[in-house]
Amino acid sequence: MNGQLDTSVRISNLTLKNPVMPASGTFGYAAEFGRFIDLNQLGAIVVKCITLEPRLGSHTHRLAETASGSVCTIGLQNVGVDRFIRKKMPFLRTLKPPLVVNIGANSVGDFVRLASRLNEVEGIAALEINVSCPNVKKGGMQFGTDPQTIHEVVKAVRRETDRTLITKLTPNVADIASIAKAAVMGGTDAICLINAPLAMAIDIETRRSRLGRNMTGGLTGPAIRPIAVRMVWEAARAVDVPIIGVGGITSARDALEFIIAGASAVQIGTYNLVDPTSLIKTIAGIESYMVRRKITTLKDLIGSLEVT
Amino acid sequence: MDSTGTTNPLFEIVSNVHIVQNYYKLTFNLHGSPIPRPGQFYQIRCSSSTDPLFRRPFSAHSVVGTGDCPAVEILYRIVGNGTKWLRRRRKGELLDILGPFGNGFLIDDGADPVVLVARGVGIASVYMVGEAVRRRDRERRILVLMGARTKERIFYEAECESLGDVFFYTDDGSRGFMGTAPDLLSRLVREKSIPERFSIYACGPARMLKDLARLSGQLNIVGQGALEERMGCGFGACLACACPLKPGEIVRNSQWGKPSLHWSDDGTRVYSLICKDGPVYDLKEVEWDEWTT
Repeated sequence: MNGQLDTSVRISNLTLKNPVMPASGTFGYAAEFGRFIDLNQLGAIVVKCITLEPRLGSHTHRLAETASGSVCTIGLQNVGVDRFIRKKMPFLRTLKPPLVVNIGANSVGDFVRLASRLNEVEGIAALEINVSCPNVKKGGMQFGTDPQTIHEVVKAVRRETDRTLITKLTPNVADIASIAKAAVMGGTDAICLINAPLAMAIDIETRRSRLGRNMTGGLTGPAIRPIAVRMVWEAARAVDVPIIGVGGITSARDALEFIIAGASAVQIGTYNLVDPTSLIKTIAGIESYMVRRKITTLKDLIGSLEVT
Repeated sequence: MDSTGTTNPLFEIVSNVHIVQNYYKLTFNLHGSPIPRPGQFYQIRCSSSTDPLFRRPFSAHSVVGTGDCPAVEILYRIVGNGTKWLRRRRKGELLDILGPFGNGFLIDDGADPVVLVARGVGIASVYMVGEAVRRRDRERRILVLMGARTKERIFYEAECESLGDVFFYTDDGSRGFMGTAPDLLSRLVREKSIPERFSIYACGPARMLKDLARLSGQLNIVGQGALEERMGCGFGACLACACPLKPGEIVRNSQWGKPSLHWSDDGTRVYSLICKDGPVYDLKEVEWDEWTT
């Protein structure tokens, strides 16, 4: 890295040496990418969503490629919190960047138990609450679609953890500003957005969903980027906590759009699967941009959108 | 990873030639990358933009060249924008390729005869099994069941015939047996055209593999099949290529990597990943009914 450049950013009490991290669910448990990149160069590590019990996830036929994106449903397949702690944490503890663990549950009670359990574990810097999970008590409605529910879940998790708390918002809402405000009122330290918009793709020959019995999935990839940039901008205007922008980023150019819109950090998701070195390339590209634009401190760029 | 860890290795195209109809053969230099085993696959970036987005998987077909400069051949059929992009690449250009990935076919030294079953471009990987068998043992009998929808789609006849006895089949009967590969195999057994004991190595659509699995169960014959499936990453991170297995029938062995199996709470359902635990499976271990719905 160029010694003159300060690419560090702060997410509440965490300092990241650069603003680039993977998006949960596209990076496995990090070890999968160790053969492609130096994991210690990342701003943070984000692992896939962990639930209280192991989950088998969605039915098979989980991914359908669409124009510059994919409709995808993995259904939170994961090893469960116990196995995560026992089998995955020993390797994750050897990495230097702050570790963010994404957590999912179908009830406030399970979110609380999960947060409480992870709060005992050494080496976890932050929890990222996945409020795109269906809330069983409310007929499967996503926690993140109602300000009152998101407030309730964030507040409950906040009581259980002293780690940095990030809330990852769903874009499937009418007014992201009120949702973001509710999460901040609940005590979140940062907001991450967007998760995948609900979507569907159909095979016209068989007249079936391209995701088989799963029917629908989330749209990910470059196709959603302009929506994500707009929502980051709206959220950044609504709340004072740091924003982590995510949605279709493939390069430094894409990442910088989010930062200028108001994101303090960015996550790369689907594009990791296409190019496992994209996180590293994005970090290098941000540095090149700073040199070219004579910006020495990346923090100066956050939310620097010119509004005329 | 290169010395800076910022780019994927690039592979130089040795040749990219039209075979027949819409089938092509691409050869690229390995540049020190591991020699692939039959059944393993490469994830090739077939785009210079984000549409198409994901890499496309291609089975290793043959290893050519010698000494310091081995090269790998893949066979492909033009099916969409990705393969159209690939078709336009020329000798000397560089391709962004990851792999080889997956478990390959286990070639049983005792298997005689070896029955290779392919439909369409599925011949790519089973042909490599045939080559491996031939290299080890010139005497062993190899049968190739090669088919397609119609006679126009049949290709690679001469290459198949160089391996052993070839039996063609088509859906409409326009070439060889009219019907499916499992039906043809069943008839060959009934007519005693092949001995009672043999090993199957297959690659083709899920439906064909499912029917082969049923037949191999009835005949008490061992067999392996390579699934043709689009993937997200190809290296076990996205979990998109989950394939259901039968809990009581899982076959693993020392040559295949540690399986990344994922069980349901009650132990009645289990998912594997095609990119890591496949694409080659023992025919009896896949939960075909769930997979083909």
